[in-house]
Amino acid sequence: MKTNYVGKSVPRVDALEKVTGQAIYCVDVELPGMLYGAVLRSPLAHARIIEIDKSAATRVPGVKAVVTGNDFPYTFGHMVKDQPFLAMDKVRYVNEPLAAVAADTEAAAQEAVEKIQVKYEELPAVFDPRKAAATGAPIIHENLERYDHSSMYKIVPGTNVCTHMTYSRGDVDKGLSEADEIFQNEFYIHPVAHTPMETHAAVVQHDPSGRVFTVWSSTDAPYQRAKDLANALGLSFNQVHFLSTYSGGGFGGKGAIVAEGIGVALARFTKGRPVKVVFSRQEELTASQVRLEAFLKLKTGVKKDGTLTARVAEITWDNGAYSSKGPEVARRGAMTIFGPYRTPHIRFVSQLVYTNKQPSGAYRGFGTNQVTWACEAQMDIIANKLGINPVEIRLKNFYQDGDRYINGQVMQAAGLRETLEKASQEIGWGEQYSRSTGALVRGKGIATTIKGTATPTDSYCFIKVNFDGSITVLTSSVEIGAGQKTVLAQIAADSIGVPLDSILIPNPDTHVTPFDFGVTSSRTTYHMGNAIRMAGQKVRKEILEIAADVLGANPQRLLLCEGKIMDKDSEHEVSLKEIMTKKYGGKGGTILGDGHYTPARSSIINAEHKIQWMGSIFWMWATHAAEVEVDTETGVVKVLRIAAAHDVGRAINPMACEQQIEGSVIMGISNTLFEEFKMDRGRIMNDTFADYKVASMLDLPVIVPIIVESHHSEGPFGAKGIGEPALSPTAPAIANAIFDALGIRFNELPITREKVLSALRERDPVQ
Amino acid sequence: MKISIDLTVNGERHQVDTTPWITLLELLRETLHLTGTKEGCGLGECGSCIVLVDGRPVNSCLMLAVDARGRQITTIEGLVSNGDLHPLQQSFIEKGAVQCGFCTPAMILSAKALLDENPDAGEEEIKQTLSGIICRCGNYKKIIEAVRTASDGKADS
Repeated sequence: MKTNYVGKSVPRVDALEKVTGQAIYCVDVELPGMLYGAVLRSPLAHARIIEIDKSAATRVPGVKAVVTGNDFPYTFGHMVKDQPFLAMDKVRYVNEPLAAVAADTEAAAQEAVEKIQVKYEELPAVFDPRKAAATGAPIIHENLERYDHSSMYKIVPGTNVCTHMTYSRGDVDKGLSEADEIFQNEFYIHPVAHTPMETHAAVVQHDPSGRVFTVWSSTDAPYQRAKDLANALGLSFNQVHFLSTYSGGGFGGKGAIVAEGIGVALARFTKGRPVKVVFSRQEELTASQVRLEAFLKLKTGVKKDGTLTARVAEITWDNGAYSSKGPEVARRGAMTIFGPYRTPHIRFVSQLVYTNKQPSGAYRGFGTNQVTWACEAQMDIIANKLGINPVEIRLKNFYQDGDRYINGQVMQAAGLRETLEKASQEIGWGEQYSRSTGALVRGKGIATTIKGTATPTDSYCFIKVNFDGSITVLTSSVEIGAGQKTVLAQIAADSIGVPLDSILIPNPDTHVTPFDFGVTSSRTTYHMGNAIRMAGQKVRKEILEIAADVLGANPQRLLLCEGKIMDKDSEHEVSLKEIMTKKYGGKGGTILGDGHYTPARSSIINAEHKIQWMGSIFWMWATHAAEVEVDTETGVVKVLRIAAAHDVGRAINPMACEQQIEGSVIMGISNTLFEEFKMDRGRIMNDTFADYKVASMLDLPVIVPIIVESHHSEGPFGAKGIGEPALSPTAPAIANAIFDALGIRFNELPITREKVLSALRERDPVQ
Repeated sequence: MKISIDLTVNGERHQVDTTPWITLLELLRETLHLTGTKEGCGLGECGSCIVLVDGRPVNSCLMLAVDARGRQITTIEGLVSNGDLHPLQQSFIEKGAVQCGFCTPAMILSAKALLDENPDAGEEEIKQTLSGIICRCGNYKKIIEAVRTASDGKADS
């Protein structure tokens, strides 16, 4: 089908507002009578709360409310309802919110917070999930088994294990016995912060009649957050009203109730006055959420020729003190630890364990970073030991069209090989090059990834064609920063047949825009794109029927393109605006089309009974190839070049795909080489950007984004997704390149210069 | 305690009565409602709050508003002139240099200060100048491209 916008790098529709400073983020929201919130946070990692004395705080001039867990005794949780809005009875991590203040000014709120007195009884704390899972560990949630939770997540009563899952397919003992070599390796991947430039924020107003909480938020899924809040407070869904703003970055971190919870607790007591809560950078780094830390063990049987015969995985994930989306990360992440490889016999054990640390949650990749780190590092170890080219061993084991996934789903694997071939070619894989100059040594590495999307999940939309021919698309997909509005507007324009600039997509409003599962799991282009395509086709049909009526023509002979209706026979052309004015000009009117997309009935996800949920309506494939230069005198690793090839199905907007790929590579370098929390008894010591280092413009390597288009049979114009898989192969590609350069394997992230230097010194002791 | 501060923002003179300890960032966002300037850390470590003071980039979270007395302040809201976008705003749109957009005002203003001083700035100079501004979307490649498009770029030829 000919398209005017799909497939083109049209500039982003939100760019003008953003370059002129007009875009309103959550931190910019200002309302009449607005109060400011501040939070008292726990100095201890694990303690019983004996007493909170707020009397001095309430006397600070300008203070309107001081709220503790006793005043607002509710808990929330997306998967396990384990988290109090404000600590009750116990604190479970350093910087957990204990009390909150709303005041006329930020300064008054801060002053009052400092005047709240708390008495604690300190309890033994545990920070390593492996120790927390052991018998005799301090119990963090004594009532764990009594918490409301989905039956999908198996809690182990009387322990700190929040989710335990095992799965096997085939016969791993048989598979291992068929192997020529068995590889056993252990890997570790560290927690990292999302650090969106806009910290967590919320403005909340409780209307004076007490019926509705209105929440301004830059969350990635307003429907999920409203549902969780309604569920926590015993309200109906329409009593928690979310209004989305622009978002200054999410990366999964805005996929939980964070500042919103504090705002709700305060707004309940401010007699209708709105309350604004904005996290400081220190609060963002220590008390929002982080990527799940994970310890991974892989045992893999391989034939001499590199064929995988069996793979056994054991993963222990750190949940932190509260579970956010940890349970689903622990399940969904574990499933793809076998990589994009045909493996006849597999088994995994995945356990998610509470510790006395900041909560863990969704982070760009949703578990894929963790498992890809282990899987792809081990593929390199295997290739090296067996003397097989790392590219060849991957090609040999890759899924092919028609192979079956671990739940029996038939794979659509077109695009996978192409990502590896193109990325390795671009990096000059196998070519001779000068490997060392003095102390500088170069190396190359590759890594591939598989990422599915949460399935089945639904998206709904409405398209309004207004009486003047302008179009409004009502969707709850937020613009998290990745170009959602642009890509959806392109799909709408081509589905209806109107100019891109006639389309407006307002920010979501849960009282108006219909359900969407959320801007997560790289699902928006595919799911909301499909819903918009359906709604677009409906309104297009109705426009043509109205035009036929107005013009006295046969609707079958009319075309709608770029907002112009043309009669194929007479070649007579009329604008959409003219048609709409003729039809509705007097009294007004609207053409309304709805769209609902669900993959639930697609044959693509057919799988074995009861485990269909493990599959995915589409699979995203990617390969990153890295070239690094290591300074053997200082341990500094410089990433010189990364070729990143991604099968996106179809690039609705190639420039937006490049943004995702290039941005992920930078984030990947940052996660792999620089970012690391320094902890002391549960306290994060590096809670500023000066000490928690993220990549800057000076760390930018040559990035070559490569877009592979395999055209998904049910995707809108063939599209799949891109946001999440773009990150996961970067870390193992860099580590594999460091191995190529030095012959030293790092199985634990991050790979800091100190680690590199100490490994070099261990290998080559100073004479 | 209130003091009076006289300053010029985007060509417009303002006389503001305020407390002596507020920062320029707070004055711009809260008193003048110019929310295009963003706070990312409040400690001068991320660059999100950069504005131009007498043409030079300054972390407005680290500057007291009183020190802006008599100075010319330019914020992102002041870059459009007679309805026309500044060439940097135009190139940021065209080259895809905007993702979430939170660092965009600071990036554009810093780049403007650089190009006003050296219209031929090349890649290395651009990187050095903008490296103090964190873009967590990691859009650095396209931001550099956008600034190069707006510069004469002679340094690279």
